[in-house]
Amino acid sequence: SFLKLRNFPFHIKLVCSQAAVFFFFFVCLFVCLFSLLQGITESFGAAIHALGASQLTDGVINRSKRMMLDTLGVGLLGTRTAVFNKALKYRITFCRSSSIWGRSDITLPPCYAALVNGIAVHSMDFDDTWHPATHPSGAVLPALLALAETLPSRPSGLDLLLAFNVGIEVQGRLMRFSREAYNIPERFHPPSVVGVMGSAAASAKLLGLSPSQCSHALAIAASSAGAPLANAATQTKPFHIGNAARRGLEAAWLAQMGLEGNPSMLDMDVGLGVYYNDYSPSTMPDCASGAFRWILEDQDVAFKRIPAHLAMHWLVDAALAARGKLQEAAWNFDLSQIQRVTLRVPPSKYINCPFPITEHQARHSFQFNACSALLDGKVTVASFDPAQINRSALKELLSKVEVKTPADNHPSFDKMYCEVQIETAQGESCTARCNTFYGHWRKPLSQEDLVEKFIVNASSVLCTEGVEGVIDVIGNIEKVTECSVLGSYLRMTSNTLEKVYSTGMI
Amino acid sequence: SKCFVFHLQKTIRPVQAARGVHQSAHPAPEDTVTASFGQFISEIKPQHLSPVVLQRSKRMVLDSIGVGLIGSTTDVFDLALQHCQHMYAPDFISSVYGRSNVRLSPTLAAFVNGVATHSMDFDDTWHPATHPSGAVLPAVLALSDMMPASRKPSGLDFLLAFNVGIEIQGRLMRFSNEACNIPKRFHPPTVVGPMGSAAACARLLSLDSSQCSHALAIAASLAGAPMANAATQSKPLHIGNASRLGLEAALLASRGLEASPLVLDAVAGVAGFSAFYEDYKPQPLDSPHDGHAFLLEEQDMGFKRFPAHLGMHWVADAAASVHKLLVGVGPGKISPDQVQDILLRVPLSKYINRPFPESEHEARHSFQFNACSALLDGEVTVQSFTPGAIRRPELHALLSRVRLEHPHDNPANFNLMYGEVQVTLVGGDILKGRCDTFYGHWRNPLTNESLRKKFRNNAEVVLPSAKVERLIEAVDELDRLDDCQDLLSQLQ
Repeated sequence: SFLKLRNFPFHIKLVCSQAAVFFFFFVCLFVCLFSLLQGITESFGAAIHALGASQLTDGVINRSKRMMLDTLGVGLLGTRTAVFNKALKYRITFCRSSSIWGRSDITLPPCYAALVNGIAVHSMDFDDTWHPATHPSGAVLPALLALAETLPSRPSGLDLLLAFNVGIEVQGRLMRFSREAYNIPERFHPPSVVGVMGSAAASAKLLGLSPSQCSHALAIAASSAGAPLANAATQTKPFHIGNAARRGLEAAWLAQMGLEGNPSMLDMDVGLGVYYNDYSPSTMPDCASGAFRWILEDQDVAFKRIPAHLAMHWLVDAALAARGKLQEAAWNFDLSQIQRVTLRVPPSKYINCPFPITEHQARHSFQFNACSALLDGKVTVASFDPAQINRSALKELLSKVEVKTPADNHPSFDKMYCEVQIETAQGESCTARCNTFYGHWRKPLSQEDLVEKFIVNASSVLCTEGVEGVIDVIGNIEKVTECSVLGSYLRMTSNTLEKVYSTGMI
Repeated sequence: SKCFVFHLQKTIRPVQAARGVHQSAHPAPEDTVTASFGQFISEIKPQHLSPVVLQRSKRMVLDSIGVGLIGSTTDVFDLALQHCQHMYAPDFISSVYGRSNVRLSPTLAAFVNGVATHSMDFDDTWHPATHPSGAVLPAVLALSDMMPASRKPSGLDFLLAFNVGIEIQGRLMRFSNEACNIPKRFHPPTVVGPMGSAAACARLLSLDSSQCSHALAIAASLAGAPMANAATQSKPLHIGNASRLGLEAALLASRGLEASPLVLDAVAGVAGFSAFYEDYKPQPLDSPHDGHAFLLEEQDMGFKRFPAHLGMHWVADAAASVHKLLVGVGPGKISPDQVQDILLRVPLSKYINRPFPESEHEARHSFQFNACSALLDGEVTVQSFTPGAIRRPELHALLSRVRLEHPHDNPANFNLMYGEVQVTLVGGDILKGRCDTFYGHWRNPLTNESLRKKFRNNAEVVLPSAKVERLIEAVDELDRLDDCQDLLSQLQ
């Protein structure tokens, strides 16, 4: 049409060319608007389907492998817990096909394997924590491993790694839909909201579902989301992660079979928005466009050194520092001289427990963790044994604790601090503060320390060959041909240990 | 609209100031709402069921089985069943509606039967709004199947457990004013359904009061699904999962799993069951004693005459009366050409306002669709939702002439709403129909004959008539059966 314009009078030529420019402009605008209007749920489905291994950066590969290793370790350790054994006894049926971590003698249908292994991961509150707050890996890895073992397509290590990262990424994206998510929770336990979505996304990825099926997997999973915070600090809390893993996997399977949910689940306030007081969803960028960047690239996770709620880590570091200061200052210092202990912590009801009775309460108690640190000079797995919880020396110290919540102490894992002030009968006072504990994303665990944590945990149930096998496989996961080899290492128990734990002598 | 939160009955004592002087910062266990519920569930006995409650709950059991049986013919049921058979281990224990050679593990049987029950939105509805029976009956049936032959519950134990499941749901909904209206955030069967199922199963398992409390608390972590999945194929799974997960919670509690002892209580800064509501004022339950009034005694159940959201029944009845007027005037069939405009005066509720539904699930949740179907055919039936019926051009023509109005005096509340249909004919005549209380609503309950007719229509789709009649008999005599096996054996 521009060629034909040559024969027209000039002013008409101008109008036509202007019209063409305007037309072009409006086409562009339309395309932009259309992509903005593309459903958010749809964009997630498209991204889950399209993200490829080539998009995994070195940074993300490195960080996510550390997450996998840590998760397996805490899960193996967790198979010794009472809550795990209760869940396992409940779920044993005839036929099985997926590995139970730390057990050589049983397997279970994949959904139940995901459930119990997920429970194991969160049983001692020892698993990773992210910002905004959730425990991302425990909701995803157990589902993926269980699923991988049943797939005739025999996924590779890279397939597993990619699916794992999709599951983490989706969780991170969803939490950024709400300002509420940035703070320590009060209503719904975050793993129960975003964890099941991550599991559904990861499972859909590993299953190779179409973009539409991926969207429906998310929609179906949303109906399985949301457990109230009241069950934190109880024996049921680990089920939140276990059920997130299991029900996300189930959602992906149902989507594969053609079940449909609301294709705008993520877009709507009456969709995923029901779990938040403020909700502003946004689309997932087209992963081929170059605008896509993994959240894990910019925001690392925290790995725990203590099997307790993340906030306890600040507190323990501060308590140990205060204790150290007192010991240095006074040669004859002993704990009975302590008159008062003041904790300055962020406001959060469910981790404020002056006299915990159960291990679950103890893991969610500022007071308990501070006093354990002061009494023993360390807080370890053993600190939460019933005998330790019930010590009279501990109880006596607990009665001297006061908790304060200063206005500048924000209940957010990115901003909080903890301060411990010890006052003695002699009038001495010592204060120490921790802004960033070792293991936090601002001060990550060294690779050596991370592997060391894994070895200690895994050795409680696996023989050396199993322990080293897992380290080796995860370390080289991108090159592993069949990721289900991991399952065989996770079942390499040390016979004596397995006998002790499986007779239910907990 | 006013609700029940402060409507104190003689059986509810006022909330006590429960904070003791304990240093644990928790109220003494005996004083909590959560403990009172656990105690109620474990102590309630068959003699606490009044004749009215027995009668009404047996009607619920019958209707629920019937809609479950017809529901076993749906695509979504098929999908759910295949999922359970392929993705889980074979476990030949609990029966599945309408499939004589199929049994599943108890929780999965509860799941698929629950899906069947809600698959066509044909199951009962209560006030405050939820679908109570579908969340409870499949679990109680599955659990009964699980029990050894020599120790099956009696019909009365079965009925008691069922009623406990209904009662707990009713009590919980009365903790919130929000619950009285048509829902906007969480789909009520997903909030109270698992709790009812857990309570019913805890009762049937004869758990002690502490275990009963823990069953409720465990179930709370499995509760809650967003409204966005209503009017989709996933909705029936809401009831299926409620039933299944409540049973799971009770079984886990029986194995000693513990959860929050304050889950039903209001604790500032840590949400329990309150997480699902904007306003929340829990009330303890009195220990059962002679004269304890079940909620079902004073608030009867609504049964549906056709498989669609309850709100549809008002507009359908209103439109049917206009159809009668039109048919009376001229030839037997309505032609869209006669109609210029259709005005519906209905409550404001987004998820049941669908001008052009495309799937059966959407059609069951569309004021417009149900009004026009009833206008065209004189009634809405199971067949109104077949793909062929949904796509009729004459129906589509009518749909394009519909407008909605939401009068201020028409609240989104099943106890207070009405439906009005105003048809303007081409000639200018205006015909009006209004329905304040449809036949089947608790204010105008289905007669036993009507209920049985619905049951026969449903059940005969999958069972031979002899079995259908035996089922009717078994449910009718349920409170007198020594062994509920007589009921269980007729279901397949």
